[in-house]
Amino acid sequence: MSAIIEIKNVSKEFKVLNRREGLKGSLKDLFSRDYKTVKAVDNISMTIEQGEIVGYLGPNGAGKSTTIKMMTGVLEPTSGEILVGGNVPYQNRTKNAQEIGVVFGQRSQLWWALPLVESFKLLKDIYQIPDEKYESILKLYRSLVDIEPLLHKPVRQMSLGQRTLSDILAAFLHDPKIVFLDEPTIGLDVSMKAKIRTLIHALNKEKNTTVILTTHDMGDVDALCRRIVIIDKGKMLYDNDIEHLKGFFGSYRTLKLRIDGDMQEQAKHIQKELPEFSVSADDEWISVLVDEEKAKVIDVLGKLQHSYNIRDMQLEEISTEEVIKKIYEEGVQ
Amino acid sequence: MKLKKYLALTRAGIMETLQFRLSFVVMVIGNLLYLIVVYFLWDAIYESAGTDVVNGMTFTDTLIYLVLATALFNFMEMYAVWEIGRNIQSGKIVLDLLKPMEYRKYLFWSYSGSFVTQFFLTFLPTFIAVALVTHGAIPMGINLLYFVLSVVMAVSINYSIDFIVGTICLYTESIWGINIMKQVIVLLLSGATIPLAFFPDTLRTVVNYLPFQSIYNAPLTLLLDGAPTAETVLTTLGTQLIWCIAMMIVSKLFWKVSLRQITVNGG
Repeated sequence: MSAIIEIKNVSKEFKVLNRREGLKGSLKDLFSRDYKTVKAVDNISMTIEQGEIVGYLGPNGAGKSTTIKMMTGVLEPTSGEILVGGNVPYQNRTKNAQEIGVVFGQRSQLWWALPLVESFKLLKDIYQIPDEKYESILKLYRSLVDIEPLLHKPVRQMSLGQRTLSDILAAFLHDPKIVFLDEPTIGLDVSMKAKIRTLIHALNKEKNTTVILTTHDMGDVDALCRRIVIIDKGKMLYDNDIEHLKGFFGSYRTLKLRIDGDMQEQAKHIQKELPEFSVSADDEWISVLVDEEKAKVIDVLGKLQHSYNIRDMQLEEISTEEVIKKIYEEGVQ
Repeated sequence: MKLKKYLALTRAGIMETLQFRLSFVVMVIGNLLYLIVVYFLWDAIYESAGTDVVNGMTFTDTLIYLVLATALFNFMEMYAVWEIGRNIQSGKIVLDLLKPMEYRKYLFWSYSGSFVTQFFLTFLPTFIAVALVTHGAIPMGINLLYFVLSVVMAVSINYSIDFIVGTICLYTESIWGINIMKQVIVLLLSGATIPLAFFPDTLRTVVNYLPFQSIYNAPLTLLLDGAPTAETVLTTLGTQLIWCIAMMIVSKLFWKVSLRQITVNGG
């Protein structure tokens, strides 16, 4: 294992014109030199190893795209150092381009009017992929997905799912060391999402390609990423394993109960009995958020069984989605 | 081997243009209408002038010149400004920048396919038609070779100008006005809409020092002049070559500086 991406104390500032309100303000803006500096990315450091799949998460406008653009060499960091495969990306964009593949979920790099196979041939020449390598990767693709019907279909006639799939295949075509996937599953149906996840997973396994994945779909994260990085307002909030994340707010589990009698009333009783946990109730369930460091769920259940007639129960893990939501909303304490 | 990746783009461009059959029909009809307008406009001009020869050109001379200029325009005009502008606005430019190829070259070669198709499908038929209809008003000799050389350089100069204007879009983030302005300036000062012979002397002197006349006036003059002197040929092609190189360097540097600006300040 060796580091493929090294980011050290990287910041990126943008100058934005201060806009004024109204027509008069707009006219004034024409001559204004009144800029304010916005920190899109603030002192981020991370090291990514060859072959990792890293989930890069954050709310909209957190600075994810800016970071990715810096890694691909489209933007130059204001301060700090970035090394991608030993290159400084913005100084060596063309060379760096040979080593990376990119998929932006919203846009396609394929030739709109041409059948997919023509786009592949074109990319083969542009990236100067040798014949035997090209053949072997096509063979791999054939074993992973059913691409025959796609190959001779013009890209403009494809469904969004087919197009995304094609775009991902195109990004992996020149066997890059790193592939950046920016919201690859956006707008896709459940089965297509699953297909795309399997494909990404298989390509990562097969080619040992490093994958940087930004997404808002926690299903992607759960299915693909071992490690996740969360940023918000340009600052790094979290960089660790996904298992670790679940224990991030203590090891919480939600115990859900259905009890005879009025739920709201009973919930108040239970709260009195268990003052250390938060108890809430809706029409169907009473939820007890159990901190497993203080008491075992089974003990709590045993205690309650003595005094209440429990008709039904459920035990819920706190989901990645909930944790991420909590982090976005509250930040890290 | 290096050339292969560029020619692959040419090939894709040809295939892409051929996908849209209907657009050819529309273009041919549009051109016919334009040429009819041109015919009656200049007919009226010659009528009111009262002489057969105006500014050293007969009605037939003028018409041949303008028809060929239109044909030339059809295959040289690539609307690169629109393309660059659109790519900047939509952000697609990021994907193009991430190709292992200089953006200037990438875009040029992406367009080269449409040059080839347009040349064969619009310029050549027009050229042959004009030659047949006028019974040899177009001299067929060594001038054809000069013409081809001249057109190649004209294409390059035209592209460089387009690219420079497209680069300005990086700053303005709007394309429409800039593009219209560019188009009017180029078409007028290059002699594409009015032969340069009709320009007042002072304006013509100024125009001769500008790169635009190298795009349409130079190749057409070389083509239509039956017996150009060696001196005319050399100065015309020489001027073109100088502009060709100069504009290439300017567009390259301007893009480099601008792109740095963008990568530093973000877009």
